[in-house]
Amino acid sequence: MAEEPEWSRLTDQEVVLLARSGREAAYRELVRRYERPVFALLYRMVRDRELAEDLAQETFVKALNAIDSYRPEFKFSSWIFKIANNAAIDHLRRRELDTLSLDGSPHAETPEAMQATALQIGARQESPLDAVEARELGGAIEAAIGRLRPEYRSCILLRHVEGRAYEEIAEILDLPLGTVKTYIHRARNELRLALAHLKE
Amino acid sequence: MTQVPGPHLSPDDVENWLDGLLDAERTRHLDLCPSCFDRVQLEREIVEQLAGLPAMAPTADFADRVMASVTIADPFALRSLRQRIFASRRSMAIAASLALALVGSMAASVAWTLANQDILLSVGNWVLAQGTQAGWLALRGLASNFIEQPWYESARTLAASPGRMSVAVGVALLAYLSGVFALRRLLALPTQQVAHAG
Repeated sequence: MAEEPEWSRLTDQEVVLLARSGREAAYRELVRRYERPVFALLYRMVRDRELAEDLAQETFVKALNAIDSYRPEFKFSSWIFKIANNAAIDHLRRRELDTLSLDGSPHAETPEAMQATALQIGARQESPLDAVEARELGGAIEAAIGRLRPEYRSCILLRHVEGRAYEEIAEILDLPLGTVKTYIHRARNELRLALAHLKE
Repeated sequence: MTQVPGPHLSPDDVENWLDGLLDAERTRHLDLCPSCFDRVQLEREIVEQLAGLPAMAPTADFADRVMASVTIADPFALRSLRQRIFASRRSMAIAASLALALVGSMAASVAWTLANQDILLSVGNWVLAQGTQAGWLALRGLASNFIEQPWYESARTLAASPGRMSVAVGVALLAYLSGVFALRRLLALPTQQVAHAG
């Protein structure tokens, strides 16, 4: 039986090497290191606990089953956040397609049915469910983050909640560094405007 | 009234200020410009609120659920080699170059062989003659060395007694099998799907 290493002394890259050599404990260590930040990012992206947990699980399964394709010259954190962010963005886009149809549902057969389903656009802005979620999320700033564009949301969460460097965020989101800085600045502006009424 | 130096802070200046990296000239502007000062204070409040958001964790059995769907890597598996080859364009290019070089050299070898059968035949005959001669010499050397060993006479005596001989063979067989078993245990690697702990 192989002796367990002192995990806290190993870098992510070293843990990945142990995982590649078939050590189950190394896989668990990677999950332990990133389950909280990945889940927190996804939760604040999709604002639904159960869904966030499903997406986090999907993220880890995808990453760990493809551990051989991970390239150690990149940070493991960038890799896992990239997979998580893509999962969240894909989900949000699918949800947009499901709800944001100007002509209503494609399954609607009468003009009335089309109009009824098209009303979902307006309903999405601030539904009673959104309001309940906002309370659950613990305040106005969480709700304001939820109203940001997904790209701004990823940037601001990675920068100011997860404390990632601009360069790492650019790598995670596949965006130029300047664009990342612009998005973060605009996101803060929008949050400031959204929260201005609380100060008045 | 004090003159405020330079233009108002740009978005990059605000980022630098938040990171504590604003240069002296821009800091002097900030100290003297109430509008920029108010703006950065508001930005700082937002950043502080974001940094103070509560930590979040998935449910306690999250890791077990993840591990139930993960296949532990087998470093010696063919699948692993395939994944490494297709991991990036560079690795695919290297693998393709190696495959091309291998197929090319094999084709060249076959073509040359077909075109030069007589040369190959004479070289083959020469190698065979030399090899046979060297083989006989080695065998004779080995036999004379064997006979000159101090334990040779004891081995001959042992071979003359079938009972002793069978005991010696049994011991040797047992030692061999123990060695094989120990090696198999040492080389065994975990390749099975991880059991669902939940």
